[in-house]
Amino acid sequence: MTIGFAGMSHLGIVTSAAAAAKGFDVMSYGEPIAISEPGLPELLTSNRIRSVNDPSALQECDLVVVSQDVPTNATNRSDLTGLRQLIAQLPPVKTLVILSQVTPGFTRSLNLPNVYYQVETLIFGRAVERALYPERFIVGCADPSAPLPDSYAKWLQAFACPVLRMRYESAELAKISINMFLISSVATTNTLAELCETIGADWSEIAPALRLDKRIGPHAYLSPGLGIAGGNLERDLITVRTLSEQHGTDAGIVGAWLTNSRYRRDWVLRTLHAAVLAKTARPVIAVWGLAYKQDTASTKNSPALAVLESLQEFPTQTYDPQVKGTVPSALEACAGAAALVVMTPWKEFSSYTAAQIRERMPGRVVIDPFGVLDGRALTADGFSYHRLGGK
Amino acid sequence: MNRVVILGGRGFLGSALARRLKDTLPLGSADVNLLEPASVEKLRGIVRDGDALVFAAALTPDKGKDARTAMKNLAMGEHIAAVVGSVKFLHVIYISSDAVYADDANPVRETSCASPTTLYGLMHLMRERMILVAAQKTPVLILRPCTLYGASDTHNSYGPNRFIRTALKDRQIQLFGQGEEQRNHLHVDDCARLIELCLQQQRAGLLNAATGQAVSFMEVAQLASEIVAGVTVKGQPRSGPVTHRHFDISEVIKAFPAFRFTTLRDGLTNMAKQLR
Repeated sequence: MTIGFAGMSHLGIVTSAAAAAKGFDVMSYGEPIAISEPGLPELLTSNRIRSVNDPSALQECDLVVVSQDVPTNATNRSDLTGLRQLIAQLPPVKTLVILSQVTPGFTRSLNLPNVYYQVETLIFGRAVERALYPERFIVGCADPSAPLPDSYAKWLQAFACPVLRMRYESAELAKISINMFLISSVATTNTLAELCETIGADWSEIAPALRLDKRIGPHAYLSPGLGIAGGNLERDLITVRTLSEQHGTDAGIVGAWLTNSRYRRDWVLRTLHAAVLAKTARPVIAVWGLAYKQDTASTKNSPALAVLESLQEFPTQTYDPQVKGTVPSALEACAGAAALVVMTPWKEFSSYTAAQIRERMPGRVVIDPFGVLDGRALTADGFSYHRLGGK
Repeated sequence: MNRVVILGGRGFLGSALARRLKDTLPLGSADVNLLEPASVEKLRGIVRDGDALVFAAALTPDKGKDARTAMKNLAMGEHIAAVVGSVKFLHVIYISSDAVYADDANPVRETSCASPTTLYGLMHLMRERMILVAAQKTPVLILRPCTLYGASDTHNSYGPNRFIRTALKDRQIQLFGQGEEQRNHLHVDDCARLIELCLQQQRAGLLNAATGQAVSFMEVAQLASEIVAGVTVKGQPRSGPVTHRHFDISEVIKAFPAFRFTTLRDGLTNMAKQLR
């Protein structure tokens, strides 16, 4: 059985590679972008993947999946123009699955026969794992009571997880609903973590207790962070707000989440100002990590870039393992610095000791929002150490 | 930087600003009575195209919290808006107040809901809009400072201004309740310095002016008592509920990341020295 994939952005590359790994022949259409994901190089060695330059070749596939990531603009709104153009290029196919991030109402508006919408839950940095071992499939259908076409059902069954069929609009909103719940956890965590910082509590002691609560769960988003970044969650917030405005429903909580996100994003700047900028003339600031999170080169809405934007009048030295244009190593970024700011929790950073940092850096301020470094050792070594959720 | 015309230039903040600027024209009520409609023509004859304008004139709550005072302030706003609408100012800064925010808007930030509970706050909100509407293409900055303190304050407002004065005069500081309310206290020179930086950058939009450090009135009183020495701090029965006001000053830091606020200890020490 051959599955065609139209759109070779992050989503298409990873999903098509996972399909090949499950034993399906894959035909891919679209210029692949350069991405980095743990485990992806191994999957891409499969000889089951064949790329084509002509979309009409997809006609011979048993199933065609539209897997183009939908870009967002500066205000985090989806631009569906490219996706519509891609769909318009496709030949008539037996079964079409839309995997792209669409707004509710999009799939029905296509007015095409045998079309399905499938929720994607790709996570940057864990995309391969998520593609190979999904928790469930959520499928939007014109008629949820009708069985899925054999080819589609066969593809999904290969992953041995529950398949939930529902009407298009429900599936489209289910995707957004998942993100809304994640955001609510992030915002709640950040709200309480800030309180911890001021009343002498420590969020790292509270979070394990919450994870053992069945209503919250072991995988809940309970790590304090610098607000929402990456673009996808922000997109869904904007979509919900826009839909609510359109239909007159109450989405006041979305505004509160956005405000909280911006406020926590600025935590580093506020801390840096109080600890260094307002005390030292033209301090050199070392910044570790530019990506919006670890294991990705994406800097979309990255808190690190937001901080650097505000530090333009100061000399800065940045290092990121994947983002280009930085100094070659983390310790080189520390040379002559008054303060070190760890903006992305890359695993690599946790290997550096207080002694190594002290050797390179004359300043004694470390701002480590995610607690990547050994805070106790740094404090014992005379550093002023700052992290989210505690002191 | 072009000439800066300061309306309210003889007042607490206006005079502090005038001391910082080189080319400035501070105007007080003795120069132009902004309550009079004739002030429009008079001002038009004084200012010139290319001037920057700082509108820092207002009848503060110690002059009255009633509708009559609010209407006088609005009349002042109407007159200045007429001038702003007919002169090509390089830049206009309107000095508003954090009284425009809702009482429970914590932490207060530039995006907080402006929902004043006092006529004074409502008046400032109205005047902000008057200036913005009149300015058209002229860049306008609305600056909303928290309570200011400094030796030349004439309002004797509750907080650092009154505490240092009564500490020096009566060796006693009276608090409402136990002074639990937390507030930001911005030194007038810091506010003037922020305005100067905004003028240099021709900054437009909205900016709060606060330290980001909320302290209780009790802490201020204890500090004042320590600085003046031999002062007793007394509480008294409270009539209203305890309310706090905190500020998120991220936008000020983004605008001026190297800005250093005067510490409350330094500010009060300085103030006591000047008033002795």
